[in-house]
Amino acid sequence: MNGPAVDTRSELALEADARGIRDVLERYQENGWTDGLPVVPVSESIVDEFLATSPLDPDEVLFATPHLNRELTVRYAAINAALAGCRPEYFPVVVAAWKGIAQEPNPRKGIWQSTTGTAPFTVVNGPVRERLDINSRGNIFGSGHRANATIGRAIRLALINVFGLRPHQLDQATQATPAKYTAVIGENQEQSPWPSLHTEYGFAEDDDVVTSFVVRSVMHIEARHTQEAEQLALDFTDSITRTGAFIHEYTNALLVLSPEHAQVFAGAGWDKDQLRRFIFDHAYRSRGDLGRVGKDAISHHARWRLAAGHPDAIADTAQGSQTPDRVPALAAPESVQIVVAGANNAGVSAVVEVFGLNPRLRPSSYSAVEYRTS
Amino acid sequence: MTTMEVLIDPTGASERTSDMTLSLRPGTLAGLRVGLLDNTKPNATTLLEALGDELRQRHGIGSVTMYTKDYFGTPVKDELRDEIVRECDLVVTAVGDCGSCSAATVLDGIIFERHGLPAVSIVSDSFLMSGQAMASLQGFPGYDFLAATHPIASLSAEELKNRAAELMAGVERILGAEVAA
Repeated sequence: MNGPAVDTRSELALEADARGIRDVLERYQENGWTDGLPVVPVSESIVDEFLATSPLDPDEVLFATPHLNRELTVRYAAINAALAGCRPEYFPVVVAAWKGIAQEPNPRKGIWQSTTGTAPFTVVNGPVRERLDINSRGNIFGSGHRANATIGRAIRLALINVFGLRPHQLDQATQATPAKYTAVIGENQEQSPWPSLHTEYGFAEDDDVVTSFVVRSVMHIEARHTQEAEQLALDFTDSITRTGAFIHEYTNALLVLSPEHAQVFAGAGWDKDQLRRFIFDHAYRSRGDLGRVGKDAISHHARWRLAAGHPDAIADTAQGSQTPDRVPALAAPESVQIVVAGANNAGVSAVVEVFGLNPRLRPSSYSAVEYRTS
Repeated sequence: MTTMEVLIDPTGASERTSDMTLSLRPGTLAGLRVGLLDNTKPNATTLLEALGDELRQRHGIGSVTMYTKDYFGTPVKDELRDEIVRECDLVVTAVGDCGSCSAATVLDGIIFERHGLPAVSIVSDSFLMSGQAMASLQGFPGYDFLAATHPIASLSAEELKNRAAELMAGVERILGAEVAA
């Protein structure tokens, strides 16, 4: 550019020892204390700022894996939240996410060592979304919002650092999922036609609550073609019942509806339970469909789907029912959870495939966000 | 103003201790009671039985008893561990051929060593790193275990016999067994 030199630096322009900072970040990389991205250096005084936001004792154990001889205290959750780039005021949400994870059946039994390669997935409800700018309205699974990015990363970094779940080492995931970097969304309560997820547990709309899932994948469902509730519900159901989802006897799903899609159902007079019930009633494959892919029976001990001719095969539950040729994908309507999130600008939603071995009342766990009041 | 502070180790490793002591080795295996710990993975039983046969033929061990874990992904329960420690002089455990069970199999070996029983843990070599990571996590970096050629689950009985024979040199090394020249 020609012309007179212009000083574009504002009074806020910073000077820093950039090389010195890079040297420090390199040390973290050399130690393996990272998910690959640069981390934020943590000292005792910074940890104190995080701990000051939580009513919990720093030595309280949030999550333990006895078989790894490892446990995560509040203090180490704080260290790794700071490392992930969280602001101190995010920490109560991180703690609630850990409390949710601790109630899930599979993380404590080693699912994050498994070849399956699942990820923690967190949904945030309540006014805390506004206070912390947790994104619920547009680009929810994408990058660009610090709170979503760093709260999820705080969990992953602690799994790597405290529990030693490093790729190629204790974490033996064959491929895993990009959700492992971070997977946190807010529910778009303001643009949902229905009561929010956490009200299903008995909380009020303005309570702050975190729901924790263990997920296999986030499946993109672009469906701009219809305003008919039944057509739209069947389109989602078909994705939930892909034969690839028949891994164990049953599967689970979190339906993340854009406001526009949610409105199609609400406009037809459907509430969430009605949508769940409709999906449950239609979520099945024929025995022939499953036979063609070698999944028309289950293994006798672990109840993994396999071919009827396999030496370890026994009949699935449907085989002994009134309709043996109709094999349900879901154990119950509650196997499908529903939240509304994303921008109110198109018919684009997602089916989040939720990991589960045995049927449960609800394929997720929740925890209220607790603050220190002083 | 610049304030220099010490940066914190986010792993907590500095707060932990290590214990890298093996149990006492018997020298000769002749007459000893051998426990085989089956983690229920496919072909674990057959591989362990073949190893029992090898130990009998080569070392004249006293007895072989098969024990079975109730879940492959976590370590042996305390009751079963105590039963094996009471009834056996050494233990062989297999087969760690998945993400969680490879680590659990190595941990089983470490648990038995720390309870006074020489132990051989067998994983498949695809999961060598997982086993090594578990040993480090348990404060026993460099813990010696065996990595059999992957896969194990799809082998025939005859192939498993061969695999067992291949593993014997490693079994003898870990147990510190005297081998006839």
